[in-house]
Amino acid sequence: MQLKAQSKWGWLIASYLFLAGLGGGAYVTGVVADFVGGDWAALAKIGVALGFPCVLVGSVFLIADLGTPANFWRAFMRPGTSWVARGTIIISIFMVIGFLHIALWLWPFGVLEEGSGVRHVIGVVGAVFAFGTMIYTGLLLGANRPIAFWSTALVPVLFLVSALSTGTMAVILISALGGEGHSGPVSTLARVDIVLLVLEAIVIVMYLQATHRVPESRAAARLVLSGSVAPLFWLGVAAFGLAVPLVLELLSAYALDGSGAAVVAALAAVSGLAGGWCLRQVVLSGGVQAPLRAGRFEFALPNV
Amino acid sequence: MPRYGFVIDLKRCYGCYSCQVTCKAANHTPKGIDWARCVPAETGTYPTALRQMLPLVCQQCREPACKEVCPTGATSQDENGIVLVDKNLCMGCKACIMACPYGARQTAEKWQTYFPDADGGLDPYEAYAKKEWEKTHGYGMATKCDYCKDRVSEGRLPACVESCPAKARHFGDLDDPESEISILIRREYGFQLNPEFGTDPACFYLPPR
Ligand code: SF4
Ligand code: SF4
Repeated sequence: MQLKAQSKWGWLIASYLFLAGLGGGAYVTGVVADFVGGDWAALAKIGVALGFPCVLVGSVFLIADLGTPANFWRAFMRPGTSWVARGTIIISIFMVIGFLHIALWLWPFGVLEEGSGVRHVIGVVGAVFAFGTMIYTGLLLGANRPIAFWSTALVPVLFLVSALSTGTMAVILISALGGEGHSGPVSTLARVDIVLLVLEAIVIVMYLQATHRVPESRAAARLVLSGSVAPLFWLGVAAFGLAVPLVLELLSAYALDGSGAAVVAALAAVSGLAGGWCLRQVVLSGGVQAPLRAGRFEFALPNV
Repeated sequence: MPRYGFVIDLKRCYGCYSCQVTCKAANHTPKGIDWARCVPAETGTYPTALRQMLPLVCQQCREPACKEVCPTGATSQDENGIVLVDKNLCMGCKACIMACPYGARQTAEKWQTYFPDADGGLDPYEAYAKKEWEKTHGYGMATKCDYCKDRVSEGRLPACVESCPAKARHFGDLDDPESEISILIRREYGFQLNPEFGTDPACFYLPPR
């Protein structure tokens, strides 16, 4: 019996999961940087500025995946029903706050520039919804009972860690492009990301380790580690997503300085961001449905 | 109110796909959509290998996994326990397709022809089916088996039950202890598929040989 993975949620949904995480992570990075203040001010602005647009573009991917997008607004009408509905509301609130934060602080109005009180309050509330955005994308997959590879408590954790890491890297990348890549805060941020990457690697190992209980998750792990998804996993996630950024960030934070450090940090970020997308796609492509059982027979569902 | 259910006798089914084809004819479903279908499986090795067919329909679960994930309220249950999709409410997010353990939900992107003529056009039968499908359903939204609700309300049997030449399919009222299906479930060890998903299906199977 050959168990197959789902094919209904593809790269559009992977891009949505990736961008929603990235936006939430960058925003939280920005808010934290704003609390630190001082020479972190530039990073704070970059992080906050990335939140809303990334999640907005992500939502466009999500809507593009709908079969009847004209009914999209109905997802707001039944918040009690499901994680899709609750998530839609969470990310909408996040986008509203993220938008206001940008509009009132960065452009076109600078009214929040003076005094940090109100800005910090907005930032904390926004960060709560940013965390909601990062975590719910994992809960959403977990609602699918027949797909054991998704219904584990580790998917939301994995997506959260990856979201924080890709968010950090996006901030590093933009500041490096803006010529800030060798400032003290950027190299501190790279050190934070090193911790996040190590954490992410540990969560991925635990996640794949916990797949032995049922045939569908064993099939998923086989698909990811040695099957048709393996190139994306080993190259995209393990190499570009974890190993390359880890080595480059270690170099840029501890061995290099000046513009060399900036270039290396930017390369690490580009590689790590690509890896973040691959991670979402790998998890989606591993969505193997449980076989149906009758007596001694196990039936694999075709075209799910 | 009757609580409609199915009994599918696995030892009688010989995998002729009549149910699958009759369902398409009765419901005008486009290519790629099979609300009723037969899935084969094998077990053992030669010379003791066995092959078995599993006929599937929507299990009209009492606790439908599909309804639990539907964000728009498009999925509902009627008074007979039939799970329905309102095509005007569905946004086509496919969450229900992922959540259903029985592969009962499917969605069509566009009409694809089975029998294209020389210039890819539709023959009159397919043109009719296309028109009917667009009237009752359409493209992009989730669709599923409704136990031939309209036929049943006229006192007829679901199309797949009527056409099964092996008499492997039985339809009736689960709440009536004297109905044919209730008696079959009691006497012949009827069971539900994959009860671990906790959906409490209204479709019961009688064991294979
Ligand atoms: S079989 Fe699937 S589509 Fe049918 S009611 Fe159960 S969960 Fe819903
Ligand atoms: S595809 Fe339609 S019926 Fe299915 S969960 Fe989404 S809105 Fe509900």
